[in-house]
Amino acid sequence: MSLIKQLWLTIVVLLLLAFGGSLFIGVSSSRAYIEQEVRIKNADNANALALTMSQMPKDPVTLELLVAAQFDTGHYRRVELRDPQGEIIEQRRAGEAIEDVPAWFVELVRFEVPPGQAVVQDGWRQFGTLTLESQHSFAYRSLWRSSLELVGWFALAAALSLLLAWWIVRTIRRPLRNVVEQALHIGERRFTTIPAPRTRELREVVVAMNQLSAAVRDMLGEESQKLDLLRRRLQHDSVTGVLKREAFLAQLQIHLESQDSRASGTLALVRLARLAEVNELLGHGDTDTLLHALANGLDQFGKVRGGGVVGRLNGSDFALLLPGAHDLEQLRHELGKRLASLSDQSRVPLGLPAALVDYAQGDQRSVLLASLDGALSAAETRGDQSLVIAQGPQRRSLFTSHGAWRRALQEAMAKGIYLAHYPVLDGKGELLHFESPSRLRLNSEWQPAGVFMPWISRLELDSQLDLAVIDEAVRDITQRGKPLGINLSAASIQDARFVMELQARLRARPDVAKRLWLEIPESLAIHDLASFRSLCHALQPLGCRIGLEHVGAEFTRIADLQDLGLAYLKIDRTLIKEVDKIAEQQTILRGMATLCHSLGILAIGEGVENREEARMLFELGLDGATGPGIRQHDKSAG
Amino acid sequence: MPPSSRTLESPGRRRFLAGLGGLSLVLGLGLRPSSVVANLSPERLRRSMQAQYGERGMASLEAWFALLDRLRPADLETRLREVNAFFNRRVRWLDDIDIWGQEDYWATPLETLGRGQGDCEDFSIAKYITLKELGVPGDELRMIYVRARIGRSGITQAHMVLGYYETPAADPLVLDNLVPSITRGSLRDDLDPLFSFNSSGLWAGGSTRSRADPVARLSRWRRVIGRMQEQGFIQGG
Repeated sequence: MSLIKQLWLTIVVLLLLAFGGSLFIGVSSSRAYIEQEVRIKNADNANALALTMSQMPKDPVTLELLVAAQFDTGHYRRVELRDPQGEIIEQRRAGEAIEDVPAWFVELVRFEVPPGQAVVQDGWRQFGTLTLESQHSFAYRSLWRSSLELVGWFALAAALSLLLAWWIVRTIRRPLRNVVEQALHIGERRFTTIPAPRTRELREVVVAMNQLSAAVRDMLGEESQKLDLLRRRLQHDSVTGVLKREAFLAQLQIHLESQDSRASGTLALVRLARLAEVNELLGHGDTDTLLHALANGLDQFGKVRGGGVVGRLNGSDFALLLPGAHDLEQLRHELGKRLASLSDQSRVPLGLPAALVDYAQGDQRSVLLASLDGALSAAETRGDQSLVIAQGPQRRSLFTSHGAWRRALQEAMAKGIYLAHYPVLDGKGELLHFESPSRLRLNSEWQPAGVFMPWISRLELDSQLDLAVIDEAVRDITQRGKPLGINLSAASIQDARFVMELQARLRARPDVAKRLWLEIPESLAIHDLASFRSLCHALQPLGCRIGLEHVGAEFTRIADLQDLGLAYLKIDRTLIKEVDKIAEQQTILRGMATLCHSLGILAIGEGVENREEARMLFELGLDGATGPGIRQHDKSAG
Repeated sequence: MPPSSRTLESPGRRRFLAGLGGLSLVLGLGLRPSSVVANLSPERLRRSMQAQYGERGMASLEAWFALLDRLRPADLETRLREVNAFFNRRVRWLDDIDIWGQEDYWATPLETLGRGQGDCEDFSIAKYITLKELGVPGDELRMIYVRARIGRSGITQAHMVLGYYETPAADPLVLDNLVPSITRGSLRDDLDPLFSFNSSGLWAGGSTRSRADPVARLSRWRRVIGRMQEQGFIQGG
C-alpha cells in the first residue's frame, strides 16, 4: 500500500474513532444524566406522596383519589400502592409513548431507572409501599434529537477535518512525488536536481540526491571538456579558436548536401587586409589578439543568428557560414556595422573588406569560394571597409515568387509527404530506426528536403510541415511496424501549439510513440534550451525517444542536457569522416561513446561513408551508424 | 469477620491503570458497581477518628469495635438492646445547633462517637449503621420521624427514633435515645409517628455510586452516607 494511502487510512480511522467515540460518550453521558434526573424525580415524588398518604385517612377512596390526583396531573408511567404482603391496593399505569424515534435507538439506549419507593406509614405500622415510575419516553426523543444534532455537527467537523487532511496530504504528497520522480530519473541515469522540499526527512534525501547529481554533472563537465579540448586541437585554429580550413570546408560541404533548412543560406568571406603590415606595426602578440578578436566577433555574429559556423581559411581570411540567412542586403549592413566597430577598437587603421554570397543545396563548394574570392578582391580595391555581394552560381529556382512557393508547398503538403528511409544500424547490423527525411512533390517531381526546407523556414511553414511529417510517420509505422526517426525544426519546438498537437497525436497512439525517434539539431537545441527542455518534458512520458543530431561542437553542453533523458546522440560527420585513419578522432569518439553510455544514451555516427569507418566506429564503442556507407544487407527495408 | 484487607498501595501501576480503564469502561457503558455493602473498614475508621478526634474518640471507637465483636454471636434481642444501650450511654443528647452550630446536621456514627454527643437523628443513624453491620437486614430497620411529648407537659418536639420491624406490617420495636428500654411502638403513647424511611427508599438501587456524584450532596441522608463512605463505614462504590 502506498504511503499516501496509509496516511489517508490513518486519518479516516482516526476521524471515525474520534467522532464515534465522542458520539458514544455524548449519548451515554446524556443518558446517564437523564437517568439520574428521573431517578431523583421518582424517589422524591414517591416520598412526597407517601408522606401525604401517611398523614391522611387510609380509606380506599382517599387513597384512590391521592394516587389518581398524582398520576393524572403528573407525568408517570406507574403509581402503585401495595400492602406489606405485596397485594395491590391502588394502581395506575400508562403505556410508553415513544414517537418518531427508531426502535433500534430505543433498544440501544433503553433507560434503566429504578422506580421510586417509599413506605406509607399508618401509625407505627407500615401501611404499604408506594412505587412510582415517571414517564421517560420523552427522554428517548430528546436523546434521539440531540444524537442527530451531534451526528450533524460531527459530519460538518469531519468534512472540515478531511479538507484539512487533504490539504496536509497534498503538501506532503507533492514533494514526495518529486522525490520519487527524481529517484526514478537517477535510476534511468538522468541526474536531475530538484528544489529541496520543506519536510525535513524528504529534504535530506533530496539534498543527497542533488549532491549525487551535481557530482555527476561536474564529472560530465570535466570529461566532456577534456574531449572538447582534443576535438578543438584537431579541428580548430590555435590562434583564433575558430575552425581550421579543412574542418570548415567539411562543414560547408555538409551544409550543401544537407536535407534540412541548413541547405541554403549565406556564406561570407572577411579579410584582414595587409596582415604583414599590421604584424609589423603591432608585433606578433598583438596581431594574434587582433585576429582572435576578429574571429570571436564573427563567431558571435553567427551564434546570434543560430547555427553560424566560422572558419579561418588562411592567415588573413575568415569564412562565415550563416545557414538559413537569406536577406543579403541586411546581412551586409549588419556585418558591416560589426566590422566597423572592430576596426574602431583597433590602435592601427585596419582594412576589413568582406564579400557575401548566398548558397543553396547542390551548389559546388569550389564555385562558391571562387566567386567570393573574386568579389573580395574587388571589395579590397574599393576600400578598407567595403562589403560586396558576390554573384552566386546560376540556379534554376522552382518558383519565382514567395506566393508561388507558398501555394506550391501548401498543395504538396496537402497531397501528401513521402518519407525516405535511410537505415541506422547497430554493430550487429540490426536496425535501430530509419532516418526519414521528407520529400515533397513539387512541379510534379519528388524534391528532397534540401530544396524546399529553406523555403519552409522562410515562409514559416515549419510546424505545418512537421505535423504533416508526423502524420505520415504515424501511418508508416502503423503499416510497416518499423521505427522511424523524424527531424523537428527549431520553429516547431518553439511553437507551443505544435507541441500540444504532437502530444495529442502520440497520446492517441502509444504503440506508434514507442517506435518514434524525434531528433533536433544540436545547435538549435543549445540555442533555445528552454523550448527543448519543455519539449522533452512534454513528450518523454509518452514513450518516444528524443535525440540530438549533428553533435560535435557543443558536446561540452551535454552536462546541461543529461537530466533531460536524451535517448541518443548522432555525432556529426566531421568527427566521423576518415575516423579509421585519424587516431585523435578515435580518441574523441571513444570518449564520447563512454560518456554517452554512462548516461544511458546511445551514440550514433552520422555520415559514415564506407565499411572501414563503420567497423572502426563500432570498435570504438558507438551503438549505431548511418550514412551512405550503411546499407541494410540482410533485411529489406519493408 | 476479618476485614478483607484491600490495600490501595499493593497493586502495581499496570494493574491500577487496567483497573482504571475497566472502571471507566464500566461507567461508560452505564453499568454500576453492585450495591454498596455495609462492610466497614476498621483501618480507615481508625485513621479518620485519629485525625478528627484524637485519643478520646479512639477510645469510643475501640469500644464500638469491641461491642461489634461481642454482639456478633448474640441473638437479635440482645443486639438491639446492647446497641441501643451503647449509644444511649455513650452519647450525650444535645441539639444540633449546640453541637454543630447548625440546625439539623446529620452526623455519621464516627462523628457522634468522636464528640460523644448528638441529637436524635445522630442516635438513630448510629444505631442503624451498627445494627446493619451486625447483620440485621436493612429492610427491617426504619428511621421514623415522630412527634414527641416531653414529660407530662403538652410540649411536643420533633424527634426521630429507630424502629425494628420483624415484618413490614408488624408493630415495631422502638430504639429511642430518650428512653433507655426498647418498647413496642404501640406502647409509646408519648410518640406520634409521622413518616419513616430507610436506605432502600432514598438510597435506592445502590446509587451511592461515588462521592463525586453531585446528586449525593443534595439529600441530607445521602450526604451522611457519603461521609460514612469517606470515613470507612461503608466500603465499595
